[in-house]
Amino acid sequence: MSMIDVKVAAVEQVTPLVKHFTFVRQDGLAFPAFSGGSHVVVSMNVGGRVFRNPYSLMGSPADTSAYHISVRKQEHSRGGSLFMHESIEVGSSLQITYPVNLFALAKKAHKHILIAGGIGITPFMSQLFDLHRLNANFELHYAYRSPEHGAFADQLKASYGSQLRCYTDSQGGRIDLLALLSKQPLGTHVYVCGPNPMVVAVIETAKNLGWPDNTIHSEQFLSPGVGEPFKIHLKKSEIEVHVPADMSMLEAIELAGVEADYLCRGGVCGRCEVDVLESDGALLHHDHFLTDAEKASGKKIMPCVSRARCQKLVLDL
Amino acid sequence: MERGYWIRSKPVYTSLLWHEKATSHLIVAQGQGGMAVLKLLQLMHPKQPITVLYTPQSDADYSKTLLKVVPEGLHILDTEEKILQKLDSTLHTLYMGMRLYIAGSEDFMWTVAKVANKFGIEDAGMMKELTGTLARPIYCVHCKAITHDVTTNIGKCSGCGRMLFVRDHFSRHLGAYMGLMVDAESPGDLPEIEEIYP
Ligand code: FES
Repeated sequence: MSMIDVKVAAVEQVTPLVKHFTFVRQDGLAFPAFSGGSHVVVSMNVGGRVFRNPYSLMGSPADTSAYHISVRKQEHSRGGSLFMHESIEVGSSLQITYPVNLFALAKKAHKHILIAGGIGITPFMSQLFDLHRLNANFELHYAYRSPEHGAFADQLKASYGSQLRCYTDSQGGRIDLLALLSKQPLGTHVYVCGPNPMVVAVIETAKNLGWPDNTIHSEQFLSPGVGEPFKIHLKKSEIEVHVPADMSMLEAIELAGVEADYLCRGGVCGRCEVDVLESDGALLHHDHFLTDAEKASGKKIMPCVSRARCQKLVLDL
Repeated sequence: MERGYWIRSKPVYTSLLWHEKATSHLIVAQGQGGMAVLKLLQLMHPKQPITVLYTPQSDADYSKTLLKVVPEGLHILDTEEKILQKLDSTLHTLYMGMRLYIAGSEDFMWTVAKVANKFGIEDAGMMKELTGTLARPIYCVHCKAITHDVTTNIGKCSGCGRMLFVRDHFSRHLGAYMGLMVDAESPGDLPEIEEIYP
């Protein structure tokens, strides 16, 4: 996968847990233009081990001189976000992929309801530029733990005032999803990005009210959890690969020198899908991409987030 | 047409079935489509509010039965134009969660769809049942005119008068099948004209 070499031009501590990074290109060229909701995968070399994490681009899509991402320090992370917080400073070098949009605004929508929880605000930051430029009808509902954790809330209030509603959990602020989604004009689309219970609640509420599936959009990158180590056999490459406890299958495959496709590395895009040719145990599917039937069939797996508990697993790679 | 060959752009119609999850139901039907509405109501009277807009045709009029069966919100209007006006004003009053059902000829269904599109309702959000006739609306790729209710393999364009071969390619945007001049090579040399969309 072709990558862009970048240099960190600025780092800002936005909240106690969130840092904002500004990237410029090493070669001084302009970045590719992108659309609101896009993400890049940042590749980090942490003491010889490569981490690749997806982050939403949050600057204006019209600004190709710099890219902006925000990273929340994950308490139980395997290292990627910790590394960004502790080791990356102005002048550091990183590599990023070209932007990909898995969370695009629906062009035909007449109204957009954006619902963000915590760091889930990031993909909306770039979408808001697009919505504003298109003079679109939108509302942003932003929920966070406590006032000091409301990343960019002040900036958003200043720019979008009446279109923004903030909900502060510590002050009893809650989004009443049923009330919010019950009386929306025809042609409205809803978008949600945030913690899993929030994403599930929005999707369920909209579906139960009868919102068509194509009007409900969500983005939720999973991180490749930790698990038991296991072994895989790659049929085409004819090699055995050991997947350690704290590494995803995809990372282990890459480490073994085998090129595998990916876009999101978070179990949502479907790009990394591989065929399971043989297995003698359980596949532990963690992705949001395969249907339940596909998961049950045991014939496919998403190596970016899923694991296995078996003696033998043969993949078509 | 070649066997086993399926044109992607060709719309697939189903039988109307209630969406279980809905805030309200809006059903728009024409002529024989009245039967589709009756079938739907045989299945169940949903707990959410329903609105039925119906325009009878001379050869298919289910008004009487509908008046007996539809519990509320029935509007019977005698022209397509009035139905479309009523549809427009009804859509203004409804919220997300409204489910749209359409039954009638292809021409009728896609005319209704166009009104719904204006409200941001996409095709994926509408259920359609083809009733009464297979007659096709045709748009002429030469003069862009749309000719309604074509029942034959070759039809005369209502705009430019060319004889058009009726293709299976369908434009959702125009709500019509593509029509291509059939005797462009040798004018006047027409294949046999047969009724294949009765
Ligand atoms: S890379 Fe997107 S699902 Fe695995």
